[in-house]
Amino acid sequence: MGAWKYLLGTALLAGILLTPALIVMGPAGGSFDDALFVVLAALMLVSGLAVVTMRDIIRCGLAMIVCFLALAGIYGVAGSPLVAAAQVLVYVGAISVLVLFAIMLTQSKRAPSRLVFQTQAGPAAVLAVVIALMVTLTVTGTAWNEVAERMRVGASALAATLFADYVLPFEIVSVLLLMAVVGGVFLAKREERGS
Amino acid sequence: MSWQDLVVIGPLVGAVVVAVLVLLVDLVRPGRTVPVVIVSVGGLAALAALVAATGAVPASAFGGAYSVDALTTYLDLLFVAIAALTIVFAPDYLAPRGLPLGEFATMLLFAMTGAMLIAASTDLLLLFLGLELMVLPGYMLAGYHKTDGFSTEGAIKYFLLGSFSSAIFLFGLAFVWGLTGTTRVAEVADALTRLPNGISAGLGMGLAFMTTGVAFKIAAVPFHYWTPDAYQGSPTPVTGYLSVGPKIGAFALVLRLFVETLGPLSEWWLPVMVVLAALTMTLGNLVALTEDNVKRMLAYSSIAHTGYMLVGLVAYAADPTGRVDGLSALLFYGVAYSFMNLGAFAVIAALQKRAGVTSALSTFAGLGRREPILAILMTLFLLSLTGIPPTAGFFAKASVILAAIEAGGPATILAVIAMLNAAAAAFYYLRVVVYMFMREPDDQQPVLKHGALLWGGLAVTSVLTVLLGLFPSALLEMAGTAAGTLLPH
Repeated sequence: MGAWKYLLGTALLAGILLTPALIVMGPAGGSFDDALFVVLAALMLVSGLAVVTMRDIIRCGLAMIVCFLALAGIYGVAGSPLVAAAQVLVYVGAISVLVLFAIMLTQSKRAPSRLVFQTQAGPAAVLAVVIALMVTLTVTGTAWNEVAERMRVGASALAATLFADYVLPFEIVSVLLLMAVVGGVFLAKREERGS
Repeated sequence: MSWQDLVVIGPLVGAVVVAVLVLLVDLVRPGRTVPVVIVSVGGLAALAALVAATGAVPASAFGGAYSVDALTTYLDLLFVAIAALTIVFAPDYLAPRGLPLGEFATMLLFAMTGAMLIAASTDLLLLFLGLELMVLPGYMLAGYHKTDGFSTEGAIKYFLLGSFSSAIFLFGLAFVWGLTGTTRVAEVADALTRLPNGISAGLGMGLAFMTTGVAFKIAAVPFHYWTPDAYQGSPTPVTGYLSVGPKIGAFALVLRLFVETLGPLSEWWLPVMVVLAALTMTLGNLVALTEDNVKRMLAYSSIAHTGYMLVGLVAYAADPTGRVDGLSALLFYGVAYSFMNLGAFAVIAALQKRAGVTSALSTFAGLGRREPILAILMTLFLLSLTGIPPTAGFFAKASVILAAIEAGGPATILAVIAMLNAAAAAFYYLRVVVYMFMREPDDQQPVLKHGALLWGGLAVTSVLTVLLGLFPSALLEMAGTAAGTLLPH
């Protein structure tokens, strides 16, 4: 019985992922890159939805890894292999493991039987679909002049941009992280007794 | 990066250095109040001197991503003053509850760094990073009282809605970047003036997302829902800070983004701002009328004040001759509002020195007899918030409304709404005064002994509230120069 469910789920997922890709490559006349992007984007949306809707928090964490991997793929398709590699190393490799360990060390696996936000899930879903349609219409209906072209960016070109034009934002992020560490440690620290 | 660039961002580096110094002092002498206060307030005084010294000459660094001009200096000095006053007011509230001052001051200084970055950013990416650096410590400070359920609840609501609004704002920025291909403010503004035929659907969407994100940050109606809970739950000194620091910082973002970057599109965002201003003033005041908790009442009052400041923005955008009166009125309003609101929250924090005292209106009953000086100061701040001459609040409201009347068009209607609202607001502000001087308390409350720091801070805020009301011309002139730098060159 269980095996059938998994098979059905896999087939459904493959359908969701591959149908838009086939449409893109067939009738829409897109390239292989476009189809790959559509598959990865669909995977990201599905896994992202799984992160926020599933009740078992460990599975949410695992779905998040899939989401991060799909994003890394999108970076690769967009022509930036270095960013894709960094995404895999940092998000998939480090942050996900950290999150999973934090969950396992601090939480009981049992999640609340009913998620709190589900009381407003219906109207929120309708609103989200409406906004998604609006964004789709505006994005497809606008002439994007400069950034619509895919740029293949190598490591040295990326470094030149990052450490010349964008060096101040880069350094500010480090200040942001320092602040987050101090704040996070304070909030997570156990109260000392008697002080 | 060159040496020249480092000199220009000197104040920003200085702010980070002060924050780290406070952290180090707290490491050497853990949990002590006095060293933290000395280092942070002393460091902030030195920082203010540095800002004033380097701000005299306009400069630009990092290929036009970071600019120091009269507006940057004006706002930086205000941010430094807000941070210093908050640190001075905090110990009387934190100490009885066993909350440390070290982390509090560090977080506050990081938030101030973010606000200073916004004031100096002429790059959309930097503006966003400055915004995040300013608001992230705010979420943490809102939940600073970890064992208090209300504090945690308010912090989580603030964090979730704040994060979503940041994401929405960033999405809008991405649209604008996609259409213009640059993040530099001057280049974006230039690209927007050369648009072939009106705004495209994509740009309209980007504008809508950015307006929504900013409206969340300044707590404009209908994007204000996080405000009352976050303000009521936060430790009172944090509430005082949240009601001025991030708000003025977000207005700095509005100036840099809507006036400087999106100025060419003002005919598109002006109607939205008119509606936001009218709703924010009216709803903020109407709900404040019904609140019996002074902190919650001041939360809604701060929403109403957001509306008055938006009137200044509308007055500028609606003015056909392009005068900056509306913007200088907004900047003056920001300073006046900061001092009077910080003062009012400092009095509430002082009354809550005894742990367990709530901020309900009944706490203020009989305060006039119990602690006359505190009651008189509170009356001064409330009169200023109402807008009664000769206080700073009066001149702030008057200059905003005058600018709106001179601008004409939709701004005139807002001027009328603002005056009606100011009259209605008098009721709830003066109700606190009535409680302080004409009601007897239900039970005997002990007279509290307040620290010298608190009295010092209250002296500064009250003297400035009076002085800015009696002699507003010097600051108005500074505000005018600062606003002038935003005009297209």
